[in-house]
Amino acid sequence: MSVESKPEDVRIGVFVCHCGLNIAGVVDVKDVVDYARKLPNVVFAIDNRYTCSDPGQEEIKKAIKEYNLNRVVVAACSPRMHEFTFRRCVAEAGLNPYFFEMANIREHCSWAHPSHPKEATEKAKELIKIAVAKARLLQPLEPIKVPVTPTALVIGGGIAGINAALDLAEMGFKVYLLEKKESIGGHMAQLDKTFPTLDCSICIEGPKMVDVARHPNIEIISFADLVKVEGYIGNFRVVIRKNPRYVLEDKCTGCGECAAVCPIEYPNEWDMNLGVRKAISVPFPQAVPLVYRINRDYCIECYKCVDACGPRQAINFDQKPEEIELKVGAIIVATGYDIYLPEEGNLYGYGKYSNVITSLEFERLILAAGPTGGHVVRASDGRRPKSVAFIQCVGSRDVNKHPYCSNFCCMYTLKHTIQLKEHYGDDVEVYVFYMDMRSHFKGYEEFYQRAREMGVNFIRGRVSRVVEDPKTKNLIIYAEDTLLGEPIELEAEMVVLATAAVPSKGSDELARLLNIPRGADGFFLESHPKLKPLDTAVDGIFLAGACQGPKDIPYSVAQGCGAAARAATILSKPSVTIEPIIAVVDPEKCRNTKVKCGICAMRCPYGAIKAETGKPAEVTPAMCHGCGTCVAECPADAITQMHFTDAQILAQIDAALEDNPEDKILGICCNWCAYAGADLAGTSRFEYPPNIRIVRVMCSGRVDRDFVLHAFRKGAGMVLIGACHPYDCHYIDGNLKMRVRMDALAKALEKLGLTPDRFRVEYVSAAEGVKFAQIIREMAAKLKEIGRERIIQENEKLRPHLERMLSKRR
Amino acid sequence: MPVKIVKKEDENSLTLERILYTKHYTLSLDRSRCIGCELCKDACPKEAIKIVKPENLEAVSESMPKKITVTVLEDKCNFCGICSEICIFGAFGQSVNGEVWVPVLKSESFPQIVHEVKVDVAKCPPGCRICEEECPLHLINVRFNGSGRVSEVNVDVDRCPGCRVCEVKCPYDAIHARKILTGSIKINSDICPEGCRRCVDACPIPSVLSISEGGKVVVNDLFCVYCGACRNACPVEGAIEIKRMSIRHAPVKSGAWNKALERLTSTEGMVKELRSKSTSRVCDSVRRLRVGGRVRR
Repeated sequence: MSVESKPEDVRIGVFVCHCGLNIAGVVDVKDVVDYARKLPNVVFAIDNRYTCSDPGQEEIKKAIKEYNLNRVVVAACSPRMHEFTFRRCVAEAGLNPYFFEMANIREHCSWAHPSHPKEATEKAKELIKIAVAKARLLQPLEPIKVPVTPTALVIGGGIAGINAALDLAEMGFKVYLLEKKESIGGHMAQLDKTFPTLDCSICIEGPKMVDVARHPNIEIISFADLVKVEGYIGNFRVVIRKNPRYVLEDKCTGCGECAAVCPIEYPNEWDMNLGVRKAISVPFPQAVPLVYRINRDYCIECYKCVDACGPRQAINFDQKPEEIELKVGAIIVATGYDIYLPEEGNLYGYGKYSNVITSLEFERLILAAGPTGGHVVRASDGRRPKSVAFIQCVGSRDVNKHPYCSNFCCMYTLKHTIQLKEHYGDDVEVYVFYMDMRSHFKGYEEFYQRAREMGVNFIRGRVSRVVEDPKTKNLIIYAEDTLLGEPIELEAEMVVLATAAVPSKGSDELARLLNIPRGADGFFLESHPKLKPLDTAVDGIFLAGACQGPKDIPYSVAQGCGAAARAATILSKPSVTIEPIIAVVDPEKCRNTKVKCGICAMRCPYGAIKAETGKPAEVTPAMCHGCGTCVAECPADAITQMHFTDAQILAQIDAALEDNPEDKILGICCNWCAYAGADLAGTSRFEYPPNIRIVRVMCSGRVDRDFVLHAFRKGAGMVLIGACHPYDCHYIDGNLKMRVRMDALAKALEKLGLTPDRFRVEYVSAAEGVKFAQIIREMAAKLKEIGRERIIQENEKLRPHLERMLSKRR
Repeated sequence: MPVKIVKKEDENSLTLERILYTKHYTLSLDRSRCIGCELCKDACPKEAIKIVKPENLEAVSESMPKKITVTVLEDKCNFCGICSEICIFGAFGQSVNGEVWVPVLKSESFPQIVHEVKVDVAKCPPGCRICEEECPLHLINVRFNGSGRVSEVNVDVDRCPGCRVCEVKCPYDAIHARKILTGSIKINSDICPEGCRRCVDACPIPSVLSISEGGKVVVNDLFCVYCGACRNACPVEGAIEIKRMSIRHAPVKSGAWNKALERLTSTEGMVKELRSKSTSRVCDSVRRLRVGGRVRR
């Protein structure tokens, strides 16, 4: 197989599919085949009833052998449907799988234009011409294989991270469990009971924590921060800084004699600052690893602990932060959530009135091992409250704070009400102010019933404000009972706020280190909300638990186990294969050798490009996802995206605009959203005018401004760029980079005299077939309105400018 | 829950509170007792105490005192209680949940400073009030019984800095006080500005400092308690030199005390004390550090 086939050597076979009557019912297939046969380099063309069927594929293989074909074009359905099938087919016939191209004459043609069979046939011909034009320039590509380090890093030692680590370790992989705090356990270790069964939280989590510590395949790295992450799927290089505890991990026995003699106390953050801990201490008795820590912010260095530790010599005041480097094949992010504290603005009096607390603080109060020994008492006078009001959705479901639902607040409030009733019976009045009681999942609704039966008062309505009685320190709650439809006023001795769960502190920093996107809510974004809920945009990095959005314990556990399974799909193989449609830099052309450029490195959404001063930029193949944003951004045109080269795309544009360009709309659509939206328009049989010609790219970020300029130079009537919605880009933000580029271009073109409507950038999701059809209808109508004559005139006027702008290229 | 730290400060007092759900820490300073020395500042292990002088004070608050005093930085204080023990004038007090509580004393992380005044009432002549009248800080209260004989001499020992004025003035050898701090004080007359009497005004013990005929300050070492208030008040650096040698205290073994001692006296002072404790190993290591030109704080 020749690597660089010259055009005269290219022997293309075109296979036009009837798809039963799906295509043949509208398009005159015989006519199309005859047309295809006359295209340059096409040496064979034939029609099949079903090209994707076994006999259809056999026919392709036979033709490759018989006619010595070295390129194959199939005109049938969407490449999103069968490109993979036919690539495999040509590979089986001995061709490079990338010597294959598809013309979408079903979704984009016969299904979209059933009432215009004549025009549809013409469009089908042109679509094949476009495909053939690209096929002529196809180059063979080899899949890229990279080795895999069979170890994993789990970031965050909460219940999700614990389960992920345990499962991976059980499968036989070495796991590093990184925890920022002193102990693993996460929020679950802070809780008293768990809903809906009311089992003691630490009693069920504690043994799991110990399992983690004991497992020979797990290494806990606690009280440590992630400093740097480099590399790619199967080959991450991670730098971790272990913060000094001033107590040696291998020597500390966890006896606690040091804490007994320490004179200094400081607020225990783990106790929500309700209680205190010593300057040398563990945050809670069940901590894992059970290693004491000296907080030098508070320590007065009396060295009483050193004496108490005695011959064990576990205390070392000279300990320094230590950086360690790990090599891992996969990373699981399980960094959980934080609880929103409404101090700012003293929402509902929190921070101002001493008897207003959050639910997590209430949790520490009612916990037998907590700072009050399990007695629910008021901060103002230490007395047990006779009436407690719970306010739901504080900061969640609130457009001014966090619009999302925090998922587990309804359930833990129910738990707290039941616990109060169990502890104090009729001696305490319990009120819950709620918006909606969300008790889905197994056993939850029954739990809600139980609370009702125990005499908890549920009041549906949002609380407007809480005011303290300065004498009694009781709280007066003003709310509207939406079921009664009247305002109410209620006095309670304690108010508990169910505050929102927010992304854990440092999520932004972690997102930057790992290069994984976050949603508008600040939680990490999964690769696909339904089908890839555990994957991130970066291959080899997975999500588990509440770092992706608030989750309760069973859900987090399930995700931890799921993420472990996802990571194992990589770790269990000696190598991973990466699609070779990546960016390649031509070191000769790269101007980074002469001037400080590095634009590609800056624009790459994945940090896959390195541009060191004085050296040509370099793409790490395994990190490149093949969006092509760098290719479009490169000012020196030094980068090429394999399988979507400039030459190939320009050839497609040329082919599309060869005849009557003024009547046509040239579309450049991203594979994942706009192209799929056009597919859906066809599948849904939304008709639209047949004068659109779509060129497919993987990401709209690939769209070079030269493509647009070239299209207008060729005389295009209109140009449409179709992209994913702003935060839906499959390549993080390639679409936004395209937008910036195109907004600037649109202004420039308008200045040069282009009617603004002739160039459009649209966001079309894969679900917006209607929108796609509507856009094309609008554009076609506008095209008619502007009129051929004016377009030709405008194009004539534009041409010298375009030539000048494009002169750099050719 | 955010940690509630409340600082209230005015001319007469300062209170710093750390209010947790279960514990309430209070550190209070009685500014009428504070004479603006620097013992607490030097002893504080967290550098949480700052000297405030009237000239840069007015900017802070008008209600602040018109003399040199100290303030506590709320973001640095960890309520260890060292200041309340080291203050020989008894200006600081610390409590937890309303009860006096100095954690460093309980754990012996800091020694009890020994204030000692002994009175032999048997030697007191009837009707004598000399000590009561002479005490510059008014800490002595003499009581008589029905027949006019001295029945009791009450001394507020915790606030007594040990100037020994009472002992020296007592003609009957009935009262004995021990100095808490020992050391030396020297006035560099060359640079002592003429006509200035700030140090004289700052000194809590009259008759320690006085203005000579030449307009310069002279010192009477006998009653000096080496607190350093004069040095703080002096506008010229180096005009007053104070060297503290030792501090009378109950025996403890504590790093925090050693460091405080080093800051309050000198490295030699600390070494001397350590040597007297026969912990030669520590002394050697300290000496090595000094030879190496570095003194670790």
